[in-house]
Amino acid sequence: MTRARRPPLGRSLLRLFTVQGSWNYERLQGIGVGVAEEPLLRDLRAGENGAAYRAAVARGAHFFNAHPYLCGLAVGAAARAEHEGATPEQVERLRSALCGPLGSLGDRLVWAGWLPVTSALALIGVALGLGLDAVIGFLVVYNVGHVGLRWWALWAGWTHGVRVAVALHQPLLQRAAAWSGPAMALAVGMALPLSAGYLGGAFTGWAREVLAVATAAGCALLWWGRGRLTGLRYGLALLAVAALVGWLWR
Amino acid sequence: MSIVLYRVDDRLIHGQVIVGWGQPFHVGFIVLVDDAVRASDWEQDLYRMGVPPHIEVSFASIAEAAQRLPEWEADPRPGILLAGSIDTLAALSANSHRVKRINLGGIHHQPGRSQRLRYVYLSDSEAVKLKELAGQGIEITAQDVPTARPVPLEEFA
Repeated sequence: MTRARRPPLGRSLLRLFTVQGSWNYERLQGIGVGVAEEPLLRDLRAGENGAAYRAAVARGAHFFNAHPYLCGLAVGAAARAEHEGATPEQVERLRSALCGPLGSLGDRLVWAGWLPVTSALALIGVALGLGLDAVIGFLVVYNVGHVGLRWWALWAGWTHGVRVAVALHQPLLQRAAAWSGPAMALAVGMALPLSAGYLGGAFTGWAREVLAVATAAGCALLWWGRGRLTGLRYGLALLAVAALVGWLWR
Repeated sequence: MSIVLYRVDDRLIHGQVIVGWGQPFHVGFIVLVDDAVRASDWEQDLYRMGVPPHIEVSFASIAEAAQRLPEWEADPRPGILLAGSIDTLAALSANSHRVKRINLGGIHHQPGRSQRLRYVYLSDSEAVKLKELAGQGIEITAQDVPTARPVPLEEFA
């Protein structure tokens, strides 16, 4: 068994920010996860001409897919398992078993929770006249949570190794996952009418009615065209139509 | 209602299974067939964490699955049977003779495998095994999510 006295978690954390950069269909996030794990495996270089180190680094770069903010948990846990003498098969199985839970938990916590909640609060702030302060506040608050989650994941993985399920069962994490959906619904529900009022404020008379019809049509089309149409595509199409009408009408 | 999907996916339980297939089919239970996971409490603990509380998860070895397949097929709730490898589902099929359709949802890169579809990598021996299963009358298609086109085996193996 080998154990680093001061594991370079900071270096690994920095590399975790690039984890999506090498995403590909062959290994998905595997290469990025392997790169992030490598600093934690350097203690294994001693002995056998570094064979254990090279094998562990290669394992770290195998196929992997999870939420990018929680990948660190797999990085830390796999590195710790390598130091504790887990067999290659155990390490592989640990990585495989973590893909699903980390993807599911990350989606609920971040994509369906933290990101829409903080974005909605920023929209509310802008609609209430806070202007750029609301945008800066969003960037600061969102990223404090985002970087904090990445750091916690890496630390928890390294602390618990193959027993990392203990970290995922923490009551605070479970409560956050359970509350993220309702919190998102509340924040977005408040932000939508305020934002609509703010954005529609510059329009008057018939232009406001056209805007309301376009918004209602967009909602209906997005509902019926789920999987084919996205809000971004619809918004870009509306912009193109508006630009064309404006050009013809000038 | 029985089992609506017999799926080979080396990621086992993950978002495509829970949300992609689970929601439109209103899945009430998932059976994960894997000898190693069946013998490992901590792996079962991790896989359970990715599943919402209204979906029941069972873990079975190949032998147990062959024995319990009639029971799952008689379950009034729609269910998904998941295996991590073609070998596992082929063994289950050989032991039970009840598998009529196989969905390949994700078989990813490993040494010796070559890319057949974006999400399907097969070794030559795996391709041969799939053709043998198809020769026994089992319908085999690749389809990662329900909104994608099911790709027949002859188009990629």
